[in-house]
Amino acid sequence: MFSKKKKNVTTNEFNQIVEGTSLTKEAWKRLKKNKMAILGLIVVIIYALIAICADMFPLYPYDEVVTEHQHLKPSFSKTSGELMLEKKMQDLYYNAWKQGRLVVGEENDAMIKNWIANDKTNKVWSYLLEAGEAQRAAGAFEWSKSDLSAIEKVEDKIQNDVMVTINGLYKNVNGKNTNLKKLNYNEIADIYASMLGLDRAVLDTSVEKELKMALVNEIKSKDSEISTEDATAQAEIDFANFSEKDFETKAKANVYGKIETQVKRDALKTVKANLKENPSQTFPYEEHQELSYGISADILATKTHDRRYYLGTDYLGRDMLSRIVYGSRVSIGIGLVGTITSILIGILVGSLAGYIGGRVDYYLMRFVDVMYGLPYMLLVIIMMAIFDRSIINLFIALALISWLTIARMVRGQIMSLKNQEYVEAARSMGASTARIITRHMIPNSLSIIIVYSTIRIPNFIMQESFLSFLGLGVQAPYASWGSLIGDAVSSMTLYPWKLIYPSLTMVIFLFAMNFLGDGLRDAFDPQSKNQL
Amino acid sequence: MSKYIIKRLIGMIPTLLVIVTLSFFIVRIAPGGPFDGERALPEVIKRNIEAKYHMDEPLIQQYGRYLFDVLRGDLGPSYKYKDHDVNSLIFNSLPNSIILGCMAMAVALVFGISLGITAALKQNTVLDYVPMALAALGLSIPLFVVGPLLQYIFAMQLKILPTSGWFMDGETTFATAVLPVVSLSFAYYADVARLTRSSMLETLRSDYIRTAKAKGMKQSTIIFKHAMKGAMLPIVSYLGPAFAGIITGSIVVEQVFRVPGLGKFFVQSSFNRDYTLIVGVVIVYSTILVIMNFLVDIVYSLLDPRITYK
Amino acid sequence: MKEFKNEDIILDVKELQTYFKTDAGILKAVDGVSFQVHRGETIGLVGESGCGKSVTNLSIMRLVPSPPGKIVGGEVLYEGEDILKLSEKELRNIRGNKISMIFQDPMSSLNPFLKISTQMIETITLHQKVSKQEAREKAIKMLGEVGIPSPEKRIDQYPHQFSGGMRQRVMIAMALSCNAEVLIADEPTTALDVTIQAQILELIGKMNEKFNTAVILITHDLGVVAGMCDNVCVMYAGKIVEKAPTDKLFKEPLHPYTEGLIASVPKLEDKGKKEKLFSIEGQPPNVIDLPPCCPFHPRCHKDIDVCHKCYPPTKQIDPDHSVSCWLYASEEEIAEALKEIK
Repeated sequence: MFSKKKKNVTTNEFNQIVEGTSLTKEAWKRLKKNKMAILGLIVVIIYALIAICADMFPLYPYDEVVTEHQHLKPSFSKTSGELMLEKKMQDLYYNAWKQGRLVVGEENDAMIKNWIANDKTNKVWSYLLEAGEAQRAAGAFEWSKSDLSAIEKVEDKIQNDVMVTINGLYKNVNGKNTNLKKLNYNEIADIYASMLGLDRAVLDTSVEKELKMALVNEIKSKDSEISTEDATAQAEIDFANFSEKDFETKAKANVYGKIETQVKRDALKTVKANLKENPSQTFPYEEHQELSYGISADILATKTHDRRYYLGTDYLGRDMLSRIVYGSRVSIGIGLVGTITSILIGILVGSLAGYIGGRVDYYLMRFVDVMYGLPYMLLVIIMMAIFDRSIINLFIALALISWLTIARMVRGQIMSLKNQEYVEAARSMGASTARIITRHMIPNSLSIIIVYSTIRIPNFIMQESFLSFLGLGVQAPYASWGSLIGDAVSSMTLYPWKLIYPSLTMVIFLFAMNFLGDGLRDAFDPQSKNQL
Repeated sequence: MSKYIIKRLIGMIPTLLVIVTLSFFIVRIAPGGPFDGERALPEVIKRNIEAKYHMDEPLIQQYGRYLFDVLRGDLGPSYKYKDHDVNSLIFNSLPNSIILGCMAMAVALVFGISLGITAALKQNTVLDYVPMALAALGLSIPLFVVGPLLQYIFAMQLKILPTSGWFMDGETTFATAVLPVVSLSFAYYADVARLTRSSMLETLRSDYIRTAKAKGMKQSTIIFKHAMKGAMLPIVSYLGPAFAGIITGSIVVEQVFRVPGLGKFFVQSSFNRDYTLIVGVVIVYSTILVIMNFLVDIVYSLLDPRITYK
Repeated sequence: MKEFKNEDIILDVKELQTYFKTDAGILKAVDGVSFQVHRGETIGLVGESGCGKSVTNLSIMRLVPSPPGKIVGGEVLYEGEDILKLSEKELRNIRGNKISMIFQDPMSSLNPFLKISTQMIETITLHQKVSKQEAREKAIKMLGEVGIPSPEKRIDQYPHQFSGGMRQRVMIAMALSCNAEVLIADEPTTALDVTIQAQILELIGKMNEKFNTAVILITHDLGVVAGMCDNVCVMYAGKIVEKAPTDKLFKEPLHPYTEGLIASVPKLEDKGKKEKLFSIEGQPPNVIDLPPCCPFHPRCHKDIDVCHKCYPPTKQIDPDHSVSCWLYASEEEIAEALKEIK
């Protein structure tokens, strides 16, 4: 009936093009029409790329504490030094106003007092800064002596504080640089011993001691009830059981860290001396420094207060941008891996119940029913509160409870597929069980599973964030969206950026994810728009 | 029907038993005890305290003793709040939590259902887009963001609502309830509104609605008499999970808005390892949840004549 | 054989056009359908699935789901008044009262959440000034009329407690409870068992005689038509291709499609013959973006050149027999049509 008229294009008798489409092709076509879903997809991809490539961006380390930079507000134009100075000046103007040296008129006094009474400290500061600067420019206000010295102190700090980052350590052997990381423990230890002028044997014993101490601490953190003596004894045993390789890596890391600290200290001295000699030195700069004891280093020298915090800093002076990016990585990672884990468990249980049926099915499903009745989030909270709050535990706790729905779904799907005509047809034609499962059951359940998992991911992320918000999830120095928001809530009037940016990041992602999930569901299953 | 109800009531027992057992053992197998915290107590005193709370007995004996007490309705003494027993702690805070949860549920249902129906009837108009955009927002903003955000905007910046407190607690006004209830209900409003809209649309496309139209029924009669029941079924089955969510959610809301409810105790007691209080709170929550699930099933069967229970 | 006079016309469908907007383009589900229904007449609307039979009748009641569907042209005159131009309120007064409808699937056409009594009483009180009690009595009487045993008990049951055939009986009782003048039966027997089918058809026939209700019977089953209808319209791809009294149509079908339809019904006297049962090859066309041609030509064994290029005009062969096929057009007409294309 159908005749092929052109190449690859099938047309019917009315020259209407006839196209064969698969389910996925159709679904993709429908998805492409859903603009919000596509937008969601794009956003999700961007987030994923940022989370994956976080290490490649020029971000400050997310756990690097710069005490002087605590609670700096977000700014694109000002460096942290300028913000510090501004903060200092706000402080000084406030004091001046309180002491009556800065006069702003009665009306404004009342306004400021009203702000203070209403906890609007930020407004007071910015107003006084503006008023003070204006008066100072007009010559109506002058800094006191102590003010001036305070400002000078800050300015001096901004000018002179430098930081050094070590990008690589090398040993010079006959004019050839070898990276220290490539050397073995023995060689590194030799270098370190010669650096300090120590005897090798002394160094070895001290390294050994430190490794044992680390072991003791590790044991104690796992089991808080163990006494120090027991832990030490246990550590001795563990240490004795170390393999050659274990010892090598641990000891090497230990000594390498020590060398790095030492080199950093020396390099910092050199950089500071350089700066004193040559104040117009531009920062940052990279340098290959030759140090004594036959070691050289690639260093990066930066001025501490030249940093810019586009999204501000937190209470330890950590860069919020970096924390949000790495927090996204943790949140999305937990969401993704958690969903996959729970789905794998769900598929296993569900297909077992569905395919075997009978008594297995009955008991598995009763178990699922009972689990459904549990206020499982409460159990997770208890678990996280009393057990070790590691990311792995968090993950297990969440994954353990979230496979229920998927198990039910997969079971239902398998049961209905088992009785489907085409499966019966395949079986009647002699297809093996394996073939039926791989060619019919899995492909036909896959779309529903994919759709469900997209809907699950935001849920998972929300649960993780919920726990982190309560302080039961991801622990410092790691961050996740929930813990960032949790940290910010108590001080949100003073430092609103700490709340706003992580919230925004999280909400945009969840938004995108939800639209994508909805879109996928509608695309794969246009009939049933009724499921949640 | 009554047979079914009895059967269901009996069916609750294993679920509750599992909950009691699970929470009892989870808290006890974990390292650390309730009296480790503060200063290190002299060994003798610690022994004495443990003996007082029967913690020197084998675990299984403690479990049996506890189970027996629970059956008598006694949840035991609190380990941390020395002068209170768990019963009185829960009794004082539970009403606040229940009122908060019920108000949130009611708000979510009233707004969700009414706006969901409007959206379905006025498909692709402003009346559809606005509630649905709001619902999409509610779905994507976690509770612990909504709460602080509303607090920041309405209590701290605009100063039109109180920051925290609870109206049943002393002489504070009812206005204290607004922010906690709104925050807690937002996510559930979102789900209810979306569900209502989609199930209403689906019902309106069904054959029996076409029949009703062909009979010459008025649009309003068709919606409220013919479509409503069918459209409400998914909402009713959603109520079970929603109650569970509201219970967990109230923990955050009570913390953010300092509502003197059960949720605050729960997190605190978990950190404190106040064994009896943790397990007590979990038992209370679970009982509420199990009863709610049961009620939901009954309502469902009343709505849908096709379901017969034996 | 009943005779119908022109003044007895109760429903006059003129050039009805109903289009659906789909992703692939405009779907012309009904494209210029005209027919008349007289008082007491049973008219059959026959065609393969997807030819627009159901949409035609939904359009008469203005029940086409919109969007995506839209009635874009034509008139539906009920006692001289155009239903398509009525206000919502006037329309409601006709629906269920003057024109009633029963649907293909009795399982889903009754509201599963409401008792039969509720559903029937509301229909009666809606259109007639009677008390609830009277309406209930009338409902029970109607249920008895359509052959439901112990109707006074069963009226308080829910639809799921009835079997498929019983539900269709309830539908018929409900449709006729307001003494409707036109009953549109949209494949009323397709979803039922064969034995039940006959009962339901018989019931419809009985009701037609008893209440002098005109019936529009939509079906794809020619056997049903032969037994029940006075006149038949054969539809293909959204258009009526042949219209004739039932006897005439079966005796001398003019359109090749009608011929094919009749030939493909198995006949008892053919039993034992070696010949294969006739079947029309191919499928009905996709009516989206159909080129101007006779849509049947690819399946037609008598097709001529012009069939591929132009839709045929409707020819009145007898006063009561019309057909749309080039085979019955004159040479001049064909030549003219071909000329116009060029």
